[in-house]
Amino acid sequence: MAYKPQYYPGNTSVAKNRRKHMAGNLEKLRDISDEDLTAILGHRAPGSDYPSTHPPLAEMGEPDCPVREVVDPTPGAAAGDRLRYVQFSDSMYNAPAVPYWRSYHAAINFRGVDPGTLSGRQVNEMRERDLEEFSKKACETEITDWGLAGMRGCTVHGHSLRLQEDGTMFDMLDRRRLEGGVMVMDKDQVGVPIDRKVNLGKPMSESEAAKRTTFYRVDNVSFRSDKEVVEHVQKVWELRTKYGFVPKA
Amino acid sequence: MVRTAKVTDKLKQIRIFPHRLLLPETAEKLLNELDSVKGVVRMLISGKNLPRKITCGPGTGMDVNHPDRIIIHVSGSAFELHVIVGEVLVEVDDESVVEEIKKACERALPFPFEMKRGYFIKSKPTLTDYGKYGFKSRTDETINLEDERILGLIDPHAKVETNLCIVKAEGL
Repeated sequence: MAYKPQYYPGNTSVAKNRRKHMAGNLEKLRDISDEDLTAILGHRAPGSDYPSTHPPLAEMGEPDCPVREVVDPTPGAAAGDRLRYVQFSDSMYNAPAVPYWRSYHAAINFRGVDPGTLSGRQVNEMRERDLEEFSKKACETEITDWGLAGMRGCTVHGHSLRLQEDGTMFDMLDRRRLEGGVMVMDKDQVGVPIDRKVNLGKPMSESEAAKRTTFYRVDNVSFRSDKEVVEHVQKVWELRTKYGFVPKA
Repeated sequence: MVRTAKVTDKLKQIRIFPHRLLLPETAEKLLNELDSVKGVVRMLISGKNLPRKITCGPGTGMDVNHPDRIIIHVSGSAFELHVIVGEVLVEVDDESVVEEIKKACERALPFPFEMKRGYFIKSKPTLTDYGKYGFKSRTDETINLEDERILGLIDPHAKVETNLCIVKAEGL
């Protein structure tokens, strides 16, 4: 029987969603064109060449190194792209992704990525064309609900606030908003206006978000209701506490 | 406005905490409903800032143009919202109007809200207030304010003109 990774314990919908995010088994919910994605990332003009920070690896003449022979460079590293970032903020009111799970998703499913996890936001750094591939997956799939999450390079405030009346997460810089039942974004991730209105699709309904979330909440699926997860977390804490503690030594 | 008005311990304050951040239209409706209740002395709105310009990152200095930063009208006075309204503190002169305030909130808010009674607005001047307004005279060391109800309504460092709206009652 082939090995199947066991990413996370638990039988609740939240635990199942967490496993899905880690395995990269995400349902695609919307289409965002490459040009639109480049525009909202804001690192280069849509349609322009990728600026590079060094010549392509094939032209550089790499030193003799067994590791370099074993590991293929990512397309971005091979081309010498710049390192760029994308940052997401997710509302604690049942957004699909918890910052930690965005990091797990990035680290397990993508190469050459440096995920940074904070309490209310999550940032990923990687080579520019790798970043666009990663961002496309993050933006188009169920890991992001544009009503309850936002691509925010700065001024990320909103994660722990009450939702707005229209059910979307507050955005101080008004990068994306609900217009005619769909989320539209007319600024890039740092709030600089772009030359288009990017359609980000319909936001999830409250019940849909509650079904797809990876947040444990007392008013939805509580952490304590998942005995297997509690047992697992307690075991990890116990082992971490005991680790290296040898009284006789 | 009542001259030399003071804050007394008899006044009661109520904190209205909606379960959602309010759109400007709802905030306007709520404030007008509250203003129509007899016995309301002053109101303080607070919430998350809606900046005029971007203050950090590569876009620093650019206009935000947030659609919620608009002028609203409360009791005939117009003022610009600088925040997305998240809570309203209301001071009343008699506790008997609390029920009226609850009814006003129910009329204005299409979602649940919480109400708490207590003291939420500062009543005594602090060092910063004295730094801003000064003493009345060399011999009178009370704060140099005609109406002490202004205390606690705005940050001592903020400008009064853009943050305070005085609605004059009839006959004053």
